[in-house]
Amino acid sequence: MDARTIIESLTGKFPEAISEAGIESPIRIRAYVDKEKAKEVCQYLKDSLQFDHLCSVCGVDYPPRNELEAVYHIASYDHPVVLMLKARLPRNTPEIESIVPVYWNANWYERETYELFGIMFKNHPNLKPLVLPEDMLGEWPLRKDYEGFPNKTARNLV
Amino acid sequence: MEEMLEPNEMIVHLGPQHPMQPGPFRLNLRLKGETVMDAEVELGYIHKGIEKILENKTYLQGITIVDRICYLVALTNEECFVGCAEKLLGIEPPERAQYIRVILEELSRLQSHLLGLGEFGEFIGFVSMFMYTIKEREEVVGLIDMVTGARVTHSYLKFGGVREDLPVGFKEKALPILNNLKKVIEDYEGMFYSDRIYRERTIGVGVLTADVAKSFGVSGPALRATGVPFDIRKNEPYLVYKDLDFKVCTETAGDCFARVQVRLNEMRESIYILEQCLDQIPNGPLFPEGTPYGRRTPVMRVPAGEVFHRVEDPRGEMGMYMISDGTDKPYRVKVRGPYFPTLQALPPLIKGTTVADVAAISGSMDGCTSEADR
Repeated sequence: MDARTIIESLTGKFPEAISEAGIESPIRIRAYVDKEKAKEVCQYLKDSLQFDHLCSVCGVDYPPRNELEAVYHIASYDHPVVLMLKARLPRNTPEIESIVPVYWNANWYERETYELFGIMFKNHPNLKPLVLPEDMLGEWPLRKDYEGFPNKTARNLV
Repeated sequence: MEEMLEPNEMIVHLGPQHPMQPGPFRLNLRLKGETVMDAEVELGYIHKGIEKILENKTYLQGITIVDRICYLVALTNEECFVGCAEKLLGIEPPERAQYIRVILEELSRLQSHLLGLGEFGEFIGFVSMFMYTIKEREEVVGLIDMVTGARVTHSYLKFGGVREDLPVGFKEKALPILNNLKKVIEDYEGMFYSDRIYRERTIGVGVLTADVAKSFGVSGPALRATGVPFDIRKNEPYLVYKDLDFKVCTETAGDCFARVQVRLNEMRESIYILEQCLDQIPNGPLFPEGTPYGRRTPVMRVPAGEVFHRVEDPRGEMGMYMISDGTDKPYRVKVRGPYFPTLQALPPLIKGTTVADVAAISGSMDGCTSEADR
């Protein structure tokens, strides 16, 4: 399965939800996904396009745009194409549907992204801090405006 | 976990410090007699905030930081980080530098597998195994030391090349060590095959099937032991791996014995790769000619962009996602370590086994908590 087939299949199936889809190299493709449709798109990727391997879920903070991005890297055990799927989230209420029902190993990645960036994963089975201590919850240390512990300015976001 | 406790059950905390662990993490086991009813992993005892530190260091300083993700596989971590930046910069190291990198990364794979093997032996009560493998590992680490000047945390790779050339007499020194290693791998295999206790402790213990392993996101020897030939060196060749002859070692049983067998076979393949490299390594520069790479430059800026680069770690798929905004420091680096999903798969895997098997299963995964926590 090559990059072009995947992109065409994806944009054909979700014309509204997928935007800015592009091919960077024969084995790297990228697309933005509507945050409401992220789980649905992942389900389609897994069932129909052999994307059965979730590499990682991570967050990126863009204060100038007042946005957070949730980035999914989805690959396959059968073909070498890696899809970078991004969802734009507003910085003050970052919420997105959890993809744990689709990819079992998203569980820890989403917990980690939650504690480091404050992105809420809705319907996650066990959304609690993974690598940080409990009293650092609400600090969101990987956001760009984090100034060090204890950062009282971020408390109101919990 | 406490709420679900029945009268004849109890909770045992394995860790955060425990001899069977590859690093500090807490494993909470809900036990009924000796059977594990439920398990839960708590991380964070060695969280270093590497991803945040990388955002505040220049690219060159970043190389020394990624070494510290896991000291055992420092060279593959560097390869991943440097590879990301090279893709953004649009440069490729010259052939000699690529060969030197492959030589060092395969040596690194050898020493990691040797230590993993020894630790596994120790976890299941075969303590002398550790003595055997650590002796041979010392020779391999000595070879790496000879080139990089450091036993661990080498800071050896540079953008576009490597820091130093191979020293004079490296090949002559390396070949006898590799030949000896071939012999001891046979010995280890003979020991494992003939030891009845070892076989009973490992065969049929901690069985992963291919479908389950895939859904857990497992990679590396643990996945290949289930029969899935997934190896980044073959699937997505980097450096000169596409010119080298080697096979992806797989087994079908998916149990502890198969995982160890995959590692033993992989060590043989690594030695074969090393022999080819030492034989065919061309002469030439260490950095692309006509570029500033390799010279002393006060500031290195990387063009804006983002990249996801994967390499094959001794433990599986190591990936980094790097975003550059055009300054001298990365905007964001996400480290996707291979042991993170493997450790996540541990609780479902040990459910229903006995406490004694927990050490065997956990040990056969050849983990590094430092890398999972970052």
